[in-house]
Amino acid sequence: MADLHKNSAKILVFSTEKISDPAIDMAGLLKLHYPPTVYTITIPCSSGIKSSWILHAYQKGFDGVFIAADGSDCVYGESCTEKTGRLVGKTHELMKAEEIDPARLRMAAICSVCSESFVKQIRSFNEYLLKTLHP
Amino acid sequence: MKKKKIGVYICHCGGNISDYVDVEKVRQAVEGEDIVFLAKTTMFACSDSNQREMVEDIKVNNLDGVVVASCSPKLHLLTFRNVSVRADLNKYTYVHANIREQASWAHSDNKTGATEKAIHLVKAAIAKSRYAEALETNKVKAIKSVAVVGAGVAGMKAAISLSDKECDVVLIEKESFVGGRVAQWDSLSTTTETGKEMISRLYNDLIKRENITILTNSEVIGNKGSVGNISLTIKKTPRYINGSCHPEDLKRAIAICPVEVPDEFNFRLTTRKAIYKNYPSEYPQTPVIDLKNCTRCGACEKVCPTVDFSEKEEILDFSVGSVLMATGFDSYTPAYGEFGYATLENVITLPQFKRLIDTQYGKLTYKGKEIKNIAYIYCVGSRQVDGENTYCSRNCCTSTIHAALTAKSKFQDINNFHFNRGLRTYGKQEILYADSLRSGDIYLQSYEDGLPTVTTEGKKTLVKINDILTNGRKMEVEADLVVLVTGMVPRADNSVGSLFKLPKGRDKFYNEIHMKLRPVETVIDGITIAGACQGPKNIAESVNSALSAATKSYSILSKGELETDPLVASIDPEKCTWCGACEAACPFDAILKVETDQKVIAEINNTVCKGCGMCAPVCEPDAINLIACSSDEIMSMIDALA
Amino acid sequence: MSMDVQKKNMNYDALVIGAGIAGGEAALNLANTGYKVLLVDKELSVGGKMIMLSKVFPTLDCAACITTPKVSEISRHPNITVFIGSEVGRINKLSENEFTAQVTRKPRYVHVEDCTACQLCEKACPVNVRDQYQFGLIGRKAAFIPFSICSPKAAAIDIDNCTLCGACERACPTNCIDFTMEPETLELHVKTIVIATGFNLFDPMNMPRYGYGQYKNVITALQMERELAPTRPFNTILRPGDGKVPDRLAYVLCVGSRDASVGNPICSQICCMYSIKQAQLLMGALPMADVTIYYINIRSFGKGFEEFYQQAKGMGVNFVKGKIGKISEKENGNLMLRYEDINEGKLKETEHDLVILSTGVLPNAGIDRLFENEKLSLDSFSFIGQSDMLASPAKTSIEGVFVAGTATGPMDIPDSILSAGAASSEAISYLIQHA
Repeated sequence: MADLHKNSAKILVFSTEKISDPAIDMAGLLKLHYPPTVYTITIPCSSGIKSSWILHAYQKGFDGVFIAADGSDCVYGESCTEKTGRLVGKTHELMKAEEIDPARLRMAAICSVCSESFVKQIRSFNEYLLKTLHP
Repeated sequence: MKKKKIGVYICHCGGNISDYVDVEKVRQAVEGEDIVFLAKTTMFACSDSNQREMVEDIKVNNLDGVVVASCSPKLHLLTFRNVSVRADLNKYTYVHANIREQASWAHSDNKTGATEKAIHLVKAAIAKSRYAEALETNKVKAIKSVAVVGAGVAGMKAAISLSDKECDVVLIEKESFVGGRVAQWDSLSTTTETGKEMISRLYNDLIKRENITILTNSEVIGNKGSVGNISLTIKKTPRYINGSCHPEDLKRAIAICPVEVPDEFNFRLTTRKAIYKNYPSEYPQTPVIDLKNCTRCGACEKVCPTVDFSEKEEILDFSVGSVLMATGFDSYTPAYGEFGYATLENVITLPQFKRLIDTQYGKLTYKGKEIKNIAYIYCVGSRQVDGENTYCSRNCCTSTIHAALTAKSKFQDINNFHFNRGLRTYGKQEILYADSLRSGDIYLQSYEDGLPTVTTEGKKTLVKINDILTNGRKMEVEADLVVLVTGMVPRADNSVGSLFKLPKGRDKFYNEIHMKLRPVETVIDGITIAGACQGPKNIAESVNSALSAATKSYSILSKGELETDPLVASIDPEKCTWCGACEAACPFDAILKVETDQKVIAEINNTVCKGCGMCAPVCEPDAINLIACSSDEIMSMIDALA
Repeated sequence: MSMDVQKKNMNYDALVIGAGIAGGEAALNLANTGYKVLLVDKELSVGGKMIMLSKVFPTLDCAACITTPKVSEISRHPNITVFIGSEVGRINKLSENEFTAQVTRKPRYVHVEDCTACQLCEKACPVNVRDQYQFGLIGRKAAFIPFSICSPKAAAIDIDNCTLCGACERACPTNCIDFTMEPETLELHVKTIVIATGFNLFDPMNMPRYGYGQYKNVITALQMERELAPTRPFNTILRPGDGKVPDRLAYVLCVGSRDASVGNPICSQICCMYSIKQAQLLMGALPMADVTIYYINIRSFGKGFEEFYQQAKGMGVNFVKGKIGKISEKENGNLMLRYEDINEGKLKETEHDLVILSTGVLPNAGIDRLFENEKLSLDSFSFIGQSDMLASPAKTSIEGVFVAGTATGPMDIPDSILSAGAASSEAISYLIQHA
């Protein structure tokens, strides 16, 4: 694992069953590469993520957490965007309290065909994490 | 708890996985996990032979669950859930790991990395499998009865179609008569049947059916429960006519009534009395007394014995499994002065014009003046650049051309001038447009930035336009009558929509779940939408949507029982302190406040909960977890991935 | 080949002819209410034309993404039997509630249940032919998987082009290729029939003045759909003549629609919107390109359509009111479009480097000839006639036979879904009333 870390940070991705996970699948289908230390846990909706899960990931050694949010496509309604935003804000506060760089948590809306955008986001997040955590 | 025994299958997928992921290395890495009883690699996990082998393995070894690491769960999650079921396991004990789309293919540039990732993904799946319990789908009894709200053409057709399917129907109409907009029209495009005849045909079909209850003058005022068992409270206003009224008595009663109010049936072109019927063959055949405008002078009572002011408002309760909304549309009312509306006396709307030509014979006159030159101004209240109604109202182009042609054939010397913004006679309606051109109708067009104007010069009414079809030439028509082609707008009275919490789109019509593939279902389970309440439609389109909604409502109830997904939220009553945050976060009203012996807590209505999890993060005491996505499961997966 | 009709005892409640989005929806509605459905399609996949599209208007959802869940629901449904690569033959109505229908299953030469779509046969096959599922933009093998999201996802052998070299058989790891398969014709008993045979697109070869088939850089909008699809053949937009990325694209609307001279006077209802959608997608894919749409009237009449049209204008799509008279080709492959600019009232000529013809909707003729003892009436445009068009749009001239989707005339996807909903509603009522 040690050499893997040279050019890839450890990132936990929360994806959603119906929206962002299909996009991540399609990134694979199209062989759009991204660091292999990016792991995905799929949940129904991005507004159901608990701050405690995110903090747990940092404790366990993840460099970053990326929320591939439903955005306005959410099958559970329009309030998803706002609620996901709120939980990210709340988690940022908790991270500051524990002296974790809030930029280690990122969120972006990933639609069901946003494969290219996902890979772009992940690559830039990876660069940021490598620069700040593994210089 | 007894330790679980699971089987793990790692798929080569031909070479799709094994070309980049060392599947044998993955197998070795996970076979030592405590709950893993057996770990195998397979060329094609989804092949029949492997599926048979899995069933055999599960049965012979008494496995409690299975993990397959292969392609995306979107492709084969259900396949392997079914394998589990065939081996007598509960389908929710199955856990899937995606090592193709998210490992071998995504990292085909890095075999070591891909293998390393696959190992972690399978370990995370095993961690999740530890918690994967047998779950039973929630079952609710479904009442095989549908409430249809609105007895226009859509509601009537939906009711007939449901009745044919041996489903009980309560058809609820707010107005005193059925038929909605179609009853207001005589001549219809593409058929010789008039609107009124069509409504009579449908009504005569409706009343012979024992499983349909027709309620006119009735409104839904209460709604409780959820799909399968919805309790409706209906307020029925009396007609104040008891029994069937003799036509001659009615005539006398109408004649004697001193009240005159604008007649909405004729779009206020004419007036009616407080006791009235809109047209002779209208259904129900009983007239009605409009108590809001009645002065209670008692004159009608004296000439018509069936008048009965002692009738009382009734409150009725109905339990239904599903509600089909067919509440229709309003016609756009132009603003004061919009193209001369309400300021010039010979400016009317399209619905008014249609009533005018339907009710006149011989000569076409309006306010005593004979009409020869008619100017139609299109897209009034639709495709607005400054206003709210940015949408196209779909049906008005065809409707106008049909009305213009009807006027031309019914009355002599009519000249039609169409001031349009690009004709939209889509599909076969194009033929009508061609007919109109052939008959000599004149078409003048502008864009949104050069709308026609309506002005007066002395006694003349002039409609002017810079016509883009003739190179922007200034054109002017002296019109005897100006018809504003007003489109369909959502009902101003949305009380029934708010009662059912129906979401609206940006055009303010009711919104479907998915514009393309699920046009009659709504996010509220068990509530379907039909006809023009979902957006502008012509008659055939409304009927198609009504029958579609009827099918969807019926298919929910046809088995007499509903199954709902068990993957819902659950509340730990020990931890819950009822703060209401979860209730506020839930978009589906699935959270109830309940009182137990000791305290007030939240409770999940399993049949309504959709398992989105929005309630979980907002719970301060962390009392809410989503089944199959609980904190324990997620954290153990994070541990395995770390 | 044996042409014997096998009178296997095959009974279904409903026969749905055509497994496009309308037929699929009708089949699902029937199946979800407990009826046994046979769904027949002549193509190698469920999903009809919709599954081939890029995105849909006006939501810009990926067509494949919203179709595939529906398609897999159809394929998996315990009450639906799907016969792919099959054609319906003679149909007879014996009495109310009783029809016989012959169905011929053409051999695929692959045992679908054993095929894992590993594509090794494709790699092994030496034959290259034009890929009809990519509308001829690229080639495919004679042993091939029709397209990446087809259902069933299994290989097929194109026997007309196969050289019988046996390479695919040797390459197949599951031994699922079988050249001994033969066509079989079955006689079925069904209680009701839903016709969802869809539409054909106008063949622009019938309008030589637009040069389709002659000028390489004149393509149809369906070919452009494939270039824009997530499963697209190239990774970018290319013009076929020389593989150059185009930067001055033109759409010609009403090709084969609203044109009595080619025998189709009606409006096709979908071309304006799919062209506007493609124009929006092109603005995204080729940000520097100019896209011009030549139109007579823009018919953005459906829910959210007008807003979508205005959005395209806002994005910079150039709308020109004018009918194209003639297209001619320059030496560099660019095209000169001659037209009357209605706004300016003069004849003009403009150069474009890729021209897309928005071809119209024509009936998929022939289904009426299958009905032997009762007449299935057609309307004056040869679409299936509706016997009670306003009050029961799904009813045909034969009681118990219903029609769904574009088999009755041009319509978009939501209207097809609604029409299929109506047809299945009538069919369910018919089954219950004649039980």
